[in-house]
Amino acid sequence: MRDLKHLYELEKLLLNVSNDYISAAQQEGKLCIGTVCDNVPEPLLNLPGCFSIRLRAPRTGSMEIGTYYMTNFLCEYTRALLERAIEGGFNFLDALIAPDGCSMLNRCVENMELLKTMKKDHFFNEFMEIPMKADDNGLFLYKLQCTNHILKPLKEHFAIDISDDAMRQAVKEHNRVCDLIQEIGQFRKADNPVITGYEFHILTLATYVMPKRDIIPILEETLEELKTREPDEKSPWKVRVEFVGSEVDDSDIIKAIEECGAYVCADRFCYGSFPGRTRIEMSDDEDPLTAICRKYMYDCQCARMMNKDKILGRRQYVADLAKEYKADGIIYEQMKFCDPWAYERMVGTVVLRQDYGYPVLSVDRPYANGGSGQMRTRVQAFVESIEIKKLAKDR
Amino acid sequence: MAKEIGKDKFGSFYTGGKVRSRREWRGVKDTLYDYSRWLYIMAQLGKFMVKPRNVKGFFRYRWMSNYLAVPMMVDRFSQGLRGPQLRILHEEFDIIVYDVAKLLDGLFRGDRHLGNDKAYSDKVVLLDENEMTTFMMGFPTLKGLSRETPAAYVSVLLNQHAAERYIDVAQEFGLAGDVCPMPETEAGISIADDFPVLGACAVQCNTTCDGSLLGNGVISKRLELEEGIPCFQLGTPLRHREDDVQEYAANEMKACIKFIEEHTGEKWDWKYYFECMHRVNIATRSRQEWLDMNKTDYPQVVGGNLALYTETNYMAISGKVDLFRKADEKITKIARKAWEDKVMVAKEYRHRAIIWGVQSHFYMDFLVWILNCWGIVPLTDMLSMINTRIFAETDTPENREQAYYDMAWLNENMIMRNRTHGGYKVLLDELWEFCEEFNADMVILWEHMACKALDGMHGQFEEKAREKGIHLIWVNHDLFDPRITSRQGVRDQVNQYMRTVLREEPLDPSLEILDDDKSW
Repeated sequence: MRDLKHLYELEKLLLNVSNDYISAAQQEGKLCIGTVCDNVPEPLLNLPGCFSIRLRAPRTGSMEIGTYYMTNFLCEYTRALLERAIEGGFNFLDALIAPDGCSMLNRCVENMELLKTMKKDHFFNEFMEIPMKADDNGLFLYKLQCTNHILKPLKEHFAIDISDDAMRQAVKEHNRVCDLIQEIGQFRKADNPVITGYEFHILTLATYVMPKRDIIPILEETLEELKTREPDEKSPWKVRVEFVGSEVDDSDIIKAIEECGAYVCADRFCYGSFPGRTRIEMSDDEDPLTAICRKYMYDCQCARMMNKDKILGRRQYVADLAKEYKADGIIYEQMKFCDPWAYERMVGTVVLRQDYGYPVLSVDRPYANGGSGQMRTRVQAFVESIEIKKLAKDR
Repeated sequence: MAKEIGKDKFGSFYTGGKVRSRREWRGVKDTLYDYSRWLYIMAQLGKFMVKPRNVKGFFRYRWMSNYLAVPMMVDRFSQGLRGPQLRILHEEFDIIVYDVAKLLDGLFRGDRHLGNDKAYSDKVVLLDENEMTTFMMGFPTLKGLSRETPAAYVSVLLNQHAAERYIDVAQEFGLAGDVCPMPETEAGISIADDFPVLGACAVQCNTTCDGSLLGNGVISKRLELEEGIPCFQLGTPLRHREDDVQEYAANEMKACIKFIEEHTGEKWDWKYYFECMHRVNIATRSRQEWLDMNKTDYPQVVGGNLALYTETNYMAISGKVDLFRKADEKITKIARKAWEDKVMVAKEYRHRAIIWGVQSHFYMDFLVWILNCWGIVPLTDMLSMINTRIFAETDTPENREQAYYDMAWLNENMIMRNRTHGGYKVLLDELWEFCEEFNADMVILWEHMACKALDGMHGQFEEKAREKGIHLIWVNHDLFDPRITSRQGVRDQVNQYMRTVLREEPLDPSLEILDDDKSW
């Protein structure tokens, strides 16, 4: 297939935490609000006058200082973020809103605060309590926390407009991004798709780390390009897999899987399109904050959500996606030392195999894993096992 | 054999096997007293074993064999103790043993595998192991029973190797090996179908940590989907010092009580609730008085006497058992008298230490060891630095509404999580304040390697201790699994610091290296 026009530019952009789009927006006077987790509602950080980015630490090498502060038992994502913060890599941020999502992320941001890693005079940190159950009481808490730890501080520190109209405007822009990503993602359903899982992840990842207004035209152009893009004559993929798990901001891992012949047809992970790039439904009868919080709470697929409906729903969600995107198998991954996903991976693997009948590869991995031979070997074996099953079935 | 504290060479008691060579001679009076308490414990065990279903329990549940080590456990905790400290210990252990025996008896009575008493089972609410039981303070006719407490928690206290089998089961099932071994063990017991099955319903919580929260998912899968026992997940805010989470927490408490009412047919009893809260307040006042004594030159309720009893009384009992009130009052009386008489807990005090972090569960009697071996007085520990509030205990309409907030507050401030969650201030900043209050020159910091909330502050502890000139001894361990760091491995970390940094010689050199890898 011909290369996508914007792919190279986006690949390059993702090699760094900051990028030209962020600098340009800040030069216009817009404020960059960082976050570290899906549980912080993105549209509230994209109110007029500010824009959000999800923190990552691309090209991470040594994590020695992060490890000194947090030991080598915390996941590498959190250690890499802290290391990058200490190096000054996040100094462009104007504020950082962190949820008490998991202990590790919480401690990571607390260390940043204690070490005063962000240098801007007006910089501030906020920590949110996020409900662990999806119900009316949880919605009450979510709204209160968003009000007290996002909206009020943004207004007080930066005089940001936090009115309902401003929120509706931010949701509209957010939904436009989601619609485009979902429309592009539909191409993955084809037997011989015109977009690879890797390309799709690059596009999706970019939506988290640059201002929304700048990614929208790129996505629009890419969508048009895909409509006329010719696939290879013969599909290079041996099997189709859904990739499920915790935080993945390293597209090389998707590339490595696809190089083993497994097409990543669906993505259910943080920094992926499900559920992070599904639209927020609004109505005139309801205030936008409620609609935003409801969407984030009920659609959240994070393993930390503890009520039964959520626990069972997570596996159903994975199975539904596998069915919709015609996956032959599922790869359940977790970052090493991640407690929530250690358990979710274990149970999810068993349930998806036993109750839903999918072949499942269950793996743990370091933060930056692209070149891992171990991962490739395991995926190759998984691909072969699915192929053998297919052959046996055909006979 | 010696009457005086510190005269015996305790290291010579260890044989390399499960049990020690002999029990300790403490002088005629103390030995006779100690022996009477040993008889009491044997009587408790005998009473328990008289019932055929309990005998069956020994064969049905692998973890039950650990209970053979109960007398040995009491001996481990009482090593070197004399006079008032010995009496405080036995006051505590007498009712802890009684309470655990009662718990086991109840579990086996309702257990579908053993007693299968359906009418009894219908009045049982299953509780999480690491869960405040405040939501049971208004249900006098219901039994709140925790299966994890005897199967996992107490088992490891009795036998350091008790959890290994279940850790392996969970990992063979696909669980990563880097999670906390406590919920891992509990998940392993559930996977191995080694829990009693009973109850009208169950209440799980997120009070401990991410691992515990997710481990509950494994357990509820079996409980709810396979055994038909409905589970309620009690959501407890993590940032418990913030005002804007308290209403949510109180609402959760209301929902939990409603759930129990619906599934048991019982109604919340306010009279009983305020009675229980009255006892909670007594326990709080007592604990505060003991801690105040520990701030002086003559600490009295220290080490295991403080830690293990506080965990039991504060979390599992929560005012529901009057025996604990009586014990609180008796302990306070003994301690007060000993303090007035300026009684020393050990032969010599060299360092005054705050014990911080999550203790190694397979080596809880380590606190006695540091006292006997190095003269380090464990003034208090992180798990004992819990709620200090006194709550409303009179039944009025206002107090009834306030009660939900009070129960929620206690729930949020469960042992350990009141420090490991709620922002770094409660874990980090308050430690240094306690050092000052208790006039401590040393912090022994248990670093449970799989406890992410604690590990995440490692560097901050190092830097602040250096800045404040406090001796910080890291003691690394894996909570339930002595295969990762053995008891000797734990001791070595202290030995090395004491010898190389402080250049001190032990009070009892026979305790420095012990052959207790196989010991109970």
